[in-house]
Amino acid sequence: MKRINFYYSTKLTFDDYVHNHSFALRVIPPENPTQKLLSCSLNIDPYVSTQQTSDAFGNNVTAGYIKGDHRFLDFEIKGIANVDNTQYRTDFMPCYLYQSQYTAPDDDLKAFYSEIRGGCTGTVTERAAYLCDVLSDKIEYGKGFTDTSTTAAQAFALRKGVCQDFSHILISLLRMDGIAARYIAGLAFCDGETHSWVEYWTGDHWEGIDPANNCSINDDYLVISQGRDFRDCAVDRGVMFGKYTNQMQLVRSVLS
Amino acid sequence: MVQLKQGQFMQAVGNANEINELLRRYGVKFGIYKNGVFNEQFFPFDPIPRVISAEDFASIEKGLVQRVNALNEFLFDIYHEKNIVRDNIVPEDFIYISKGYLAECEGITPKNKIYSHISGIDLVQAKDGEWYILEDNLRIPSGASYPLIARELTRIAAPQAFEENNVVDNRGYAELLKETMENANCGGVRAILTPGRYNAAYFEHSYLAELTGSVLVQNDELFVEDNVLYHRTYSGGKTRIGVLYRRIADEYLDPLTFLPGSLIGIPNLMEAYRSGNVGIINAPGNGVADDKGIYYFVPKMIKYYLGEEPILKNAPTYLPFYDEDMKYVMDNLESLVIKDVAEAGGYGVVFGSDLTKEKLEEFRKTIIAEPRRFIAQEVIDFLDLPILDNGEKVMRKADLRAFVLSGEQTKVWASGLTRFSRNPDSFVVNSSQGGGFKDTWVLSR
Amino acid sequence: MGTISLEHSDRLYWLGRYTERFFTTLKALGDLYDKMIESKQWYKQYLENFGLADTYADSKLFMRSFIFDKSNPNSASFSLERAYDNGIVLREEISTVSLSYLQMAKDTLFKAEQSNNIRMSLLPLEDMLYSFWGSINEHIFDDEIRNIIYIGKTLERLDMYVRLKYPYDSVKKEFVRLRKNLDRVPQGTPYRYNAKYMSVLTEMLVSESDYEQNSVMATEALEHLFERSEVLV
Repeated sequence: MKRINFYYSTKLTFDDYVHNHSFALRVIPPENPTQKLLSCSLNIDPYVSTQQTSDAFGNNVTAGYIKGDHRFLDFEIKGIANVDNTQYRTDFMPCYLYQSQYTAPDDDLKAFYSEIRGGCTGTVTERAAYLCDVLSDKIEYGKGFTDTSTTAAQAFALRKGVCQDFSHILISLLRMDGIAARYIAGLAFCDGETHSWVEYWTGDHWEGIDPANNCSINDDYLVISQGRDFRDCAVDRGVMFGKYTNQMQLVRSVLS
Repeated sequence: MVQLKQGQFMQAVGNANEINELLRRYGVKFGIYKNGVFNEQFFPFDPIPRVISAEDFASIEKGLVQRVNALNEFLFDIYHEKNIVRDNIVPEDFIYISKGYLAECEGITPKNKIYSHISGIDLVQAKDGEWYILEDNLRIPSGASYPLIARELTRIAAPQAFEENNVVDNRGYAELLKETMENANCGGVRAILTPGRYNAAYFEHSYLAELTGSVLVQNDELFVEDNVLYHRTYSGGKTRIGVLYRRIADEYLDPLTFLPGSLIGIPNLMEAYRSGNVGIINAPGNGVADDKGIYYFVPKMIKYYLGEEPILKNAPTYLPFYDEDMKYVMDNLESLVIKDVAEAGGYGVVFGSDLTKEKLEEFRKTIIAEPRRFIAQEVIDFLDLPILDNGEKVMRKADLRAFVLSGEQTKVWASGLTRFSRNPDSFVVNSSQGGGFKDTWVLSR
Repeated sequence: MGTISLEHSDRLYWLGRYTERFFTTLKALGDLYDKMIESKQWYKQYLENFGLADTYADSKLFMRSFIFDKSNPNSASFSLERAYDNGIVLREEISTVSLSYLQMAKDTLFKAEQSNNIRMSLLPLEDMLYSFWGSINEHIFDDEIRNIIYIGKTLERLDMYVRLKYPYDSVKKEFVRLRKNLDRVPQGTPYRYNAKYMSVLTEMLVSESDYEQNSVMATEALEHLFERSEVLV
């Protein structure tokens, strides 16, 4: 078990006033058998009244609406969590067995899977580790080649990507292999402001695996949200009105 | 065929022009885009009604109530416990590859557990008189307004046609719809959400708003604050909306939950809905139950959830997914109609009899390669209905969309939209394809 | 129900304006028909009233254009189309019955084009418009909302009368009518008049001679009547 102090902030700035701004944040880490929150506070500026709900995937959603003119939306979350990976999460959903928007393979990715499937044997954990190995040989970690809209198939074609892309490709392979898998967005003691990794279903619980670092998950990883792919886990989604042409986002995170 | 009193009946027919004139006057139109230009057309009305005997209707009614109740149970089950999958009645694949299944709706329980408040069930009558279900429409079935206003106007133009024929008055639809909306109301005014006047069914949206005393709204007039849906009023105030009869598709409903680029949705509507602060008619995610692949399983659902034998029949359907059915489909492909479960609106429908030998072989391979993608059905020998074509009676293909409303009780509207094809060789009855509509008379005895 | 969006209130206002513009245009053209029995040249005066150039070969072509040509923004037909465009999105507000009078008017106008006595065949339009207003009165239950369409109607009437140089007495009467409707507008809602332009308008209409000299300023004041005054900091 490990005690983690976490801090995460986002500054969203517009180049002109916006109004009627609706947003949904997925930033409050969910509580489950492997992670408990000892404290957690979320601050949003400008001040706005918000509501908390929980979505279909078990994420905490903070929804709000800012009617008047504003040029920025900042939020920061800090708290303390106990992470204990000797415990098991069992919140299974059958949809995790099926390809989703970001993970649907194209012919290339399908062909790749056919090539390597011969080596994919043993327990679910062994198969997942094998797929993760093959993946790290095939794909090179590189920033700036992909963005948040890049799908598994697109990143695979580039043979390059960041943690999000590694996760999507691994999920795609796992699902092709008949293993249920989900996307995790979170914070970890490694480079990058935010991190993403994968969980696969062993048959009775979830196990975490980090394809970008080709290692399994330990108590250094804090889950912020989970879902079929990146789409279910976007930290902030918003719709706003105004004449702005550009928005800038600054993200900072600290784990200790 | 039901016998009507001829003299009175012919009055309705004779007054066809007057009735169409009245329909014009009251603006009974639908919009269509041709070559990118929006046009409003008057929906051609055929004065010869489809007539359903009291006896026939009683059995259709029972069958439809049963079917819709089972479908509502199914939707609740799928978005919660999934017992029907666990008990191997419906294979898991058919649920999760369906485009209509929305994982985002998992765990949501709408008020009174009703998912499909307004169900449009399409039926056809075979030459032997038997009724068959063609498909279930549990998302946003449209069309009720047309027979509703046509009846109002036919009663003006041809009163004698109704004097002796004991036709059940269908004009209670508005009241029924209002009750259904109220039953789903979570506290606030009733609203109908339209994508705007350039939508094909705009007439219906505005007419139903008028008849039910609901506010007709577009997305930019609405906002969600503190998980409550509000209408923004002209003076800068807000009015709480308790139930939203939305006439836009699921994926556009909330850009923060579904398609991020949707310009016709309401951000955070799903949060308000999940919190039980607003009712949505029909519930998002219903597409999983009216999927072509799921259709096959509806009779099994009826047995599973209600412990009853299905009263209304499906068109005989085969799933190549099952070995036994695959064999039958392979042996009889040239006489079957094959439907691609992923397609809708008349697309992806192939009649085996239309295929050449080579095409047939090619198609066999496609089905073997992707058995889950297709369903096969026997071609039903429809009972044609008479329509007037330049004053002459001719026979044409027609279907019936029955409307089933689920409020405190499940009720079948004693009428329905009968659509017909104007082209003698066509099975396509869609209004966008030049088809017309008829009133549907249910006799009280 | 009494909840109405800004978009709908705006539509109601313009429905009032275009319906009235159609009606007054039709009446004015009817009067012109009458005058032109003696002299065909009167149509030039009509064009002048609206500051329009005479591009018409004769009075007949002028009349055809000003009644039937949907592409002429000063024609009766153009106004009716705009009225209908606004009406169609207000069905649940104004009722199917009210809307049907506009549809009938459209159909009647369309048929009149083929008639050999146009003025005669336009007469039923007057009945339809009076029926339309009766129906509006009947179906819009909420006074505050009904008042919006009447503001559009009376403002348009005053504007048209001034432009058509109608006699002072009738203009003054229409001003009083508009003023009564405006005084009913609740605080904090649109269609509160701008005090500055209202006083300009009032001054313009103090006496017959003021009216004759300043009619242009009056129409300008009407154009700005609902302008928000500067926001006080």
